[in-house]
Amino acid sequence: MHRIHVIAASLCVALSASCGSTPRATSSPAAVAGPNTLTDGRYTLVVHGMSCPKCISNVELQLTRISGITHPVVDMKNGFVRVEVSGGTSPSKDAIANAIADSGFTLVEIRGGVE
Amino acid sequence: MTRAIALTPLLLATFAAAQEMPGMPSATAPSPGVLIPRIQGRVWIFEDSQTLVEESVRLEYGLARDLSISAELPIYQGFFDAPRPQDGDIGFGDMDLLLELRILREDLNAIDTVRASLFAGAELPTASGGFAEPTLNPCFGGVFSSITGRHGFDVSGRFTLNTGEGMTAPIFLTDLGDDFANLDAGYAYRIHPEAYGEERVAAWYLTVELNSVWTTGGNHEMLLSPGLLVEAPTYAIELGVGIPLSMEVDPAPEVEFAFLAGLRLLF
Repeated sequence: MHRIHVIAASLCVALSASCGSTPRATSSPAAVAGPNTLTDGRYTLVVHGMSCPKCISNVELQLTRISGITHPVVDMKNGFVRVEVSGGTSPSKDAIANAIADSGFTLVEIRGGVE
Repeated sequence: MTRAIALTPLLLATFAAAQEMPGMPSATAPSPGVLIPRIQGRVWIFEDSQTLVEESVRLEYGLARDLSISAELPIYQGFFDAPRPQDGDIGFGDMDLLLELRILREDLNAIDTVRASLFAGAELPTASGGFAEPTLNPCFGGVFSSITGRHGFDVSGRFTLNTGEGMTAPIFLTDLGDDFANLDAGYAYRIHPEAYGEERVAAWYLTVELNSVWTTGGNHEMLLSPGLLVEAPTYAIELGVGIPLSMEVDPAPEVEFAFLAGLRLLF
């Protein structure tokens, strides 16, 4: 059982150290180019890291949890997510960046209009 | 205990998002609040035409952005010679319970990404029917995944501390009573589509894995595992085989061939 204690202690140290650091490319809202709040209209989100079809479902699921965002459509070819903002709720850049990060990807830029 | 080498390697996997090899962990994680169930079936052909049918159910759940928990329970049906399970006897293996923490996510462009995770947990003593030794075995490890265009690479290592005495009639190398390490490497090549478009299409990958188990008692098992992976937005289908490259597993029986089929769903 002594080995178990040694391994458990080592593991706790390793995980504690890891918990203190943030994954390197997590979306930092301040670093994302674009407006701080989105008024009603259409936007193109530039997202990095969407490497497989399952990414589509993840991104759409997280974005539709934000009030005011509807009809997200992922374009994997260009790394775009096209969204529509409606209802006057003005979702924030922070909320969108966090939703993309929760999906497992990185929001790089928010562009007005649909590309 | 969860038969490590041949099993885990061929069974485990998870990217809440990206390519997951059929038979080894990937540095992927479900989004917070997202549940990913996976069902895998496997047929093991051992020496002297002894056979083991395995079905495993795995549930993975996103606890936070970079933290997930997973549980996997294998169910076995044995067609061995005595004293191992015979005539279709059914039983459980040990349940795998893991906490996974993503420590690196570097998204380089629209497609390319580099990720790494640490995981820790235990095999819980749920085994029955002589298919494994019901013991509580702590384990920990890490996995690195990289996707560059149509190419995906994964490398993982896992160490399991065996607290059992070992089985008198072991089925897998990991039932001998020694501590053991799983070392796996995998490569995936996207054969379709050549480039992603704006349409939603399933991606098809050819995969090949090198799955190995090494015990502190000096035994080992190494399998080459080619396969096919189809990933759609809400499901993934995986098919594969396991071909032994090197085995020192005595007194466990040698694996001669393995076949794998699996289904993952995204909720």
